[in-house]
Amino acid sequence: MKTQNSPSKRAIAAALSLLALLPLTRGSARPATAGAEGSPISTIVRFENFGEKDGLPSHKVHSVLRAKDGRLWLGTNNGLCLREADGRFRTYGTKDGLSHPTVLGIAEDTRTGDLWLATMQGLTRMSGGKLTAFTQTNSGLPNNVVYGVSVIGDTVWAATAAGTGALDLKNNSWKIYDQSNSAMNEPWCYSVAQGDGVVYLGVWAGGVVEFDPRTGLFKAYRDPDGDFQIQLTPDSGPVVDVTSGVAYDAGILWQSTYFGLSRYDTSRATWRTWVQDKSPLLSNFINTVFAHGKVAWLATDRGASVTDGTNWVNYSVDENGRGIVRTYRPGEETQVRTMTTALADGFVTAIWADDHEAWIATSNGLSHGIFAGPSGSPAVASNP
Amino acid sequence: MKLKRVLLPASLLALVGTGATFGGFTGLRAHERLRSGLPKLALVSCTHCHQRSLKTLPWAKPRRHHDAPDGMAVSPDGKTLFIALNDRDEVVEADVASLSVKRRAKVPGGPFGLALDTAGKRLFVACRNQDTVSVIDTAGLKVVASISVGIRPTDIAYCQTPSGERLVVPNSGSNDISVLSVLPLLELTRSAAGREPYAVSVSTDGRRAHIANRMAVHDQVLSQPASEVTVLDPSTGHIVNRVELPSAHMAEGVTEVPARGWVLSSMIRVRNLVPITQVKDGWVMSTGIAITREDGEATQIPLDEANAYFSDPSGIVASPDGKRAYVASGGADVVTVLDLDRLGAWLARSGEPERSDAIENMALSYRYVSARIPTGRNPQHLALSPDGSRLFVSERLDDRVLVVDTSSLKPVGRIVLGNGGLDDPVRLGERVFTNSRYTFQGQFSCRSCHPDGHVDGLSYDFDGAGVGDNLLANRSLCGVAGTEPFKWNGKNPTLQYQDGPRFARVLMRTDQIPEPQLDQLATFITHLPPTRTLPWSRVGQPLTPSEERGRKLFFATQRTDGTPIPVGRQCQTCHRPPLFTDRLLTSVGTRGAQDTTDVFDTPHLIGVGAMAPYLHDGRAKTLEEIWTTYQRDDLHGVSSYWSKQQLNDLVEYLKTI
Repeated sequence: MKTQNSPSKRAIAAALSLLALLPLTRGSARPATAGAEGSPISTIVRFENFGEKDGLPSHKVHSVLRAKDGRLWLGTNNGLCLREADGRFRTYGTKDGLSHPTVLGIAEDTRTGDLWLATMQGLTRMSGGKLTAFTQTNSGLPNNVVYGVSVIGDTVWAATAAGTGALDLKNNSWKIYDQSNSAMNEPWCYSVAQGDGVVYLGVWAGGVVEFDPRTGLFKAYRDPDGDFQIQLTPDSGPVVDVTSGVAYDAGILWQSTYFGLSRYDTSRATWRTWVQDKSPLLSNFINTVFAHGKVAWLATDRGASVTDGTNWVNYSVDENGRGIVRTYRPGEETQVRTMTTALADGFVTAIWADDHEAWIATSNGLSHGIFAGPSGSPAVASNP
Repeated sequence: MKLKRVLLPASLLALVGTGATFGGFTGLRAHERLRSGLPKLALVSCTHCHQRSLKTLPWAKPRRHHDAPDGMAVSPDGKTLFIALNDRDEVVEADVASLSVKRRAKVPGGPFGLALDTAGKRLFVACRNQDTVSVIDTAGLKVVASISVGIRPTDIAYCQTPSGERLVVPNSGSNDISVLSVLPLLELTRSAAGREPYAVSVSTDGRRAHIANRMAVHDQVLSQPASEVTVLDPSTGHIVNRVELPSAHMAEGVTEVPARGWVLSSMIRVRNLVPITQVKDGWVMSTGIAITREDGEATQIPLDEANAYFSDPSGIVASPDGKRAYVASGGADVVTVLDLDRLGAWLARSGEPERSDAIENMALSYRYVSARIPTGRNPQHLALSPDGSRLFVSERLDDRVLVVDTSSLKPVGRIVLGNGGLDDPVRLGERVFTNSRYTFQGQFSCRSCHPDGHVDGLSYDFDGAGVGDNLLANRSLCGVAGTEPFKWNGKNPTLQYQDGPRFARVLMRTDQIPEPQLDQLATFITHLPPTRTLPWSRVGQPLTPSEERGRKLFFATQRTDGTPIPVGRQCQTCHRPPLFTDRLLTSVGTRGAQDTTDVFDTPHLIGVGAMAPYLHDGRAKTLEEIWTTYQRDDLHGVSSYWSKQQLNDLVEYLKTI
């Protein structure tokens, strides 16, 4: 639901949001503002929500990306969606050339401005407004079920149900990496992320596979205990092998799973793992992870969880539909507050965030997370 | 007794001879059938399998080079004309006043497109043959820098942007566009274009580059094809729009029109879905101009007149004041002059239906065509002096540049670069190939469907059974020497036969090409080398591991598990190297609903990576589709045991042939 649609309403909501920052239950009176206490985690003070009545083609949003030019793109259950400058949504479907209406992932080639779309039936390129489909029958794509996509240099990486395909854009040639020629133990790939000179592949039951294009060598990071129900050896490798997503930024690799979260500090070659019973992690069931700086944004089945590994901010929806934010800092009591607005839905599927805002895709609409400004006031939302 | 002594050995000898002949004949047929995998094969020449070396083919032998002018650029003061001589690996500096050649510079790689910087101090050269852009210091007329780009760059444009100087280069062979910075000379981006991006024009403010893509493509074989004008921001290298031009084909020229917000691109309006019996009605191919506005709306207008066609429009330039445009028609030896004020007035008073139907209205062009300037042979490239007073026309097959005074529209002379090569039969054949005088009302030339001798990427309705929904894919003429017979039904034993009386009657709708010219045409075609599909830097290099795996798959005699592959279902049997064809008719399970036969001529595969679409009716848009979508019962080679990785490997190998 879109809660703010006029300047006056926004002002009122901003004031209410400030009030909402006051602690209602436990914790200190310190406002949870972006970086105010030295925390690298920006805090959302309110949400603007969007659904089908606002023009989204489906209530299910699977992927979200704010492109380099500022345009917001959504992958939904019923097409690719662009939020226009005037705030209206424009949908591209199969009649426009999209290979399948369900868009699971979006990646931008920042050099050319092209978008690459992972769909349930092929990979689609959007270039200059034109959609071109790449399928397993008309191209070297390994499989039509494409879960994730990433553009790294001159290569488009497509994580598919039958391995990861790498399309060399300069030579128009495909390579397939699967269990037959890499360190994967199975071909089911969910996610691809760019590391520093390496590529990380999230393999469904194979942990994380690191590929170095310079040497052509693979390295698999696997759960040391090999068990997804118990953690015999925490902080010594991926929490489990069942990888739902990988993300990398600032030297940190994050692995999301349906059984917890893992972080790999590449400079120290150390692992850290979290499960919900032993940490502030909102839920073990994490659909995807988005990395921004040293912070991970986790899309879970119970809301959005944000962490740098030390501090945590969790956004959820209570049984009355109210937005709840819980803030955890080492050595401090947990702060729990009720927000004036809530996530569109607690089942979060994907997140995109930067220092100024967060866009949160859910199974029942899209949420725009507006951060607190430097002084603790809500930042002004802007959607070019 | 004496007679007996003679008869007995003679009889024995005859018997042995007969037996040997019969046995040899039987053995020969058995050998042929075994090796071809065709159990009913009649006795054919041994050369179907035992082929001659490629080195003996006409296209592989040394040939004459000529001074054909290609891209041109005029200095800011209008006094100097730079001319690219692709076939000579040279750039010429000519004095406009005296119409004389001042200097020649060796520029390796086949210079084709030229652009000058604002001050005229640096000349940028797109070198088509070796995939490079070179920078020439105009003072010394020497190459001072060079960089690799995509495959077969055909044009280049220079502009200044907020991000600095930029060069935009359409790479016709790799279907992409390179954006380069000048200082330093670096490739910043390479973006996907349409098919065969061929010409580029940048706006004077450097805000937009428009790239004309030569070939139209279609989604399905029976759907209307379309080409595109790719719009790019030179500052960022981002593609900002792709303007679709339905049924527009062979766009080889593009120009911005100052002060009007228009982009004009030359085009052939192709109607490949219409039976070619309609040639006499002007229904198969006509020529036109596409006007693309800033908002992306495009209008196609005819260049032709009723019963008068100006085939193969190519180079196009607009005057600095935006009042005129000039279009070279390479097949008609004419430059057409467009009055853009009159065209603008027509556009302003025409509604959308009138504009969308304009291209079909041959009575329209008189409204904006103000003159037709006759030229020498095969004008393709145009250049205009900065003040618009001089028009330069490359008369390619005369080795000359025509200079026209634009105030009088009269020639002021010619810059002579060579002798025209009249003593070279290949050159004479190219004149036949590129000229439309041999077709009904000059509607098209051989080049209209075979740009550079290659395919045009379309399938045509040749009036076969099932007129209207039974198309045949165009086939490349490049590397065709030695692969006879021709035509998909394999009925034409020679090129002269292929292009002879029947061809004239069915397709050209005229008298046949006279025999001397027909021989010259065949000579030219047999000298067309295969299309290069690899980047120049890869030519002569070892195969990559993927390509090598694909090569082994191509020559495989057994499946991965050791099961033998029948001879007739091995790739190498029908596509036998070095020609990669056995020149026989074979069934690969592709008979369509309207086809009258199962068997089709086996096409050669040299340059196959650039020959899309594939199969006899062009139903396969990519090489992959041959085996993923249109393979049936392993009839087109045993492929059922391949993994997707193996198919990718095979495709990578095929692209190296």
